[in-house]
Amino acid sequence: MSLAPAIETAPPAMPFKARLGGWGTAILLLSVWAALLIATGLYRPDFFAHQTLLAIAFTMAVVGVLAVGQGIIAISGGFIDLSQPAGLILSGLIAVRLSEAGLPLPLVVVGAVLTGMAWGALNAAIIVFAKLNPVIVTLATNFIGLAALYLIFQLAQVPNGSEIYHFGRTNILGLPAIWWPMLLIIVVTGFLMRSTRYGRRTTAVGGNRAAAKARGISLKAMRFGTFMAAGGFVGFAAVLFASAAGPFNPSSASTLQLNVIAAVILAGISLAGGRGNFWMLLLSVGFLSTIPTSLVFFGLSSDTQSIFQGVLLMIAVAIDGYRARRSPT
Amino acid sequence: MTDTTNDRTLPAYQLPHHPLRDLLTGSVASIAFTFIAVVAIGLLWVGPKFLSFGNVSIMGTFLIVPLIVGAFAGFALLAGVVDLSIGSIVGISAAVFAYLISHGWGVPGAAIVTLVMCLGIGGLNALAIVRFGADPIAATLGMLTALRGITWVLAGNQRMISAFDIDWFNLINMQVLGLPLFFLIAIGLTLLAALIVTKTRIGRHVQAVGGDDKAAGRAGIPVGRVRTAALMLSAFGGGLGGLVYVGQLGSAAGATGFGLEFQVYAALMIGGYSILRGGVGNPIGGALGLLVVAGVANILDLKAISPYYVNIIIGLLLLAAVLLDRLRGGDSYE
Repeated sequence: MSLAPAIETAPPAMPFKARLGGWGTAILLLSVWAALLIATGLYRPDFFAHQTLLAIAFTMAVVGVLAVGQGIIAISGGFIDLSQPAGLILSGLIAVRLSEAGLPLPLVVVGAVLTGMAWGALNAAIIVFAKLNPVIVTLATNFIGLAALYLIFQLAQVPNGSEIYHFGRTNILGLPAIWWPMLLIIVVTGFLMRSTRYGRRTTAVGGNRAAAKARGISLKAMRFGTFMAAGGFVGFAAVLFASAAGPFNPSSASTLQLNVIAAVILAGISLAGGRGNFWMLLLSVGFLSTIPTSLVFFGLSSDTQSIFQGVLLMIAVAIDGYRARRSPT
Repeated sequence: MTDTTNDRTLPAYQLPHHPLRDLLTGSVASIAFTFIAVVAIGLLWVGPKFLSFGNVSIMGTFLIVPLIVGAFAGFALLAGVVDLSIGSIVGISAAVFAYLISHGWGVPGAAIVTLVMCLGIGGLNALAIVRFGADPIAATLGMLTALRGITWVLAGNQRMISAFDIDWFNLINMQVLGLPLFFLIAIGLTLLAALIVTKTRIGRHVQAVGGDDKAAGRAGIPVGRVRTAALMLSAFGGGLGGLVYVGQLGSAAGATGFGLEFQVYAALMIGGYSILRGGVGNPIGGALGLLVVAGVANILDLKAISPYYVNIIIGLLLLAAVLLDRLRGGDSYE
């Protein structure tokens, strides 16, 4: 293999300022999150109850797993996957149908993940063979997919008493069972993206695709790989979603989209590609998932939630753009 | 050495521009053919009823807001800064306008305040995108969410603000020659926008900025100012759309304009615009795109076919349109 050493070996020690810059995001996110928790706690001491923790952890689970998929797309230079809602609902429907057929939970998970990967492969096929931009392709496939799903079903729900039904209602160590896989996925993906050849290649392609191509990395294979991997995460998120969300229709996942994109950008995973740390998703997803619960405790209507999310997203992208403009790459 | 300057004969496939040939091969051509095809299918499948004044008038009424919004939003697309927040701007404009009217304001005063607010919103979008270099899609997605939240809050527990002003209602719903007056005005606006884009210096500046901002900057065009103006125009169009909705419905709902941005941009992209690349597209193509989508929806509606098929067809048309644009020399991805 004559690949450049920069991709194959661990990156050299970063300059001190760059390392500080990386931690800066973490410190900023953590302090904003802490400030929100403390402010809400001071206003309403009953905020620090187990019930609140459950609610926040619950919201975190689905958004967190989706954000890992979105992050892989973004960091590899695929911009955004706008078709996550359609992929999630499709995989969720498969999960429901499989558990209705009485299959055990592991097989249901495999079925949903494979469905998600197939959905990702479909997107990748259009992107690669028609050479079209992922943003427009996934916008269109989401449009088509959701409409087609409405033709298939109006309302679906995991059967009462099935394994997947219990999975969505169990607590492990005081937190919802669906929270733990999310934690595991973010931690492991963060590690894989940093420390394996494939992870560094994915990031390298996003940073400079021409250079990556010149070094012998196939962009087509990379696009298929990232979209199918991201689709697999969407499929797994669908299991978490279907197990806990109750009855859902094809539009049920559309509101998640914005949270996921906001989480990815807040975590510092640049939409321009090539930059980002997946562990940071834990903080951004946690912070974003705290906002709705926090607002309820402040006595604000749930309508105000989207005001905060929208303003936050704008500030985050403005910072992201400002950073990208200042850094020479 | 041979003198290459004398060798300037064009290859056979690269004929010089001619207005008539441009009509067949230019950017508007494919959408014009699609439009003709939709009309033909409508006439053959539905019958002459498809083009009756009654039916066109129904389509026209629904098309007023998308046409106005699309004509203005097209400037932002041309300048290379897509504004996804237009649907929410329509919503908040309708809510604020209705709120002011229901609190005793006159229509002119309320309209002016609402439109100035919309210009301000466009300015905020420009601040994030032009000043800080934020990604337009993500930044205006944030604006979309925030404005929708404010609109819900304004709409309150009833989920709507009723604001019935008889003069405004009569004006917006006036019929001329069997067609809605504002449908004709919206088409007039589209033609005016097309004139500005193709025939004036301002229009060429907008196209230049969207086509290659660095080259435009070197040529002395104030890139930042052009983009700011385009984003403000786009927001202004959304504001006008909100005013029209209040006139049509006599109220503003929390969900007014929800999802309009996808409807409009899908149609504009079918019509030759691009949301990722500035400098391409034309208001007439965009308007034809909206007419095609409305025509398809109308045909399926008259044939009592599930409206979900409309979205499937729009999605497929969208993919076909961007593929066609790429084959015609647009940017290919990777």
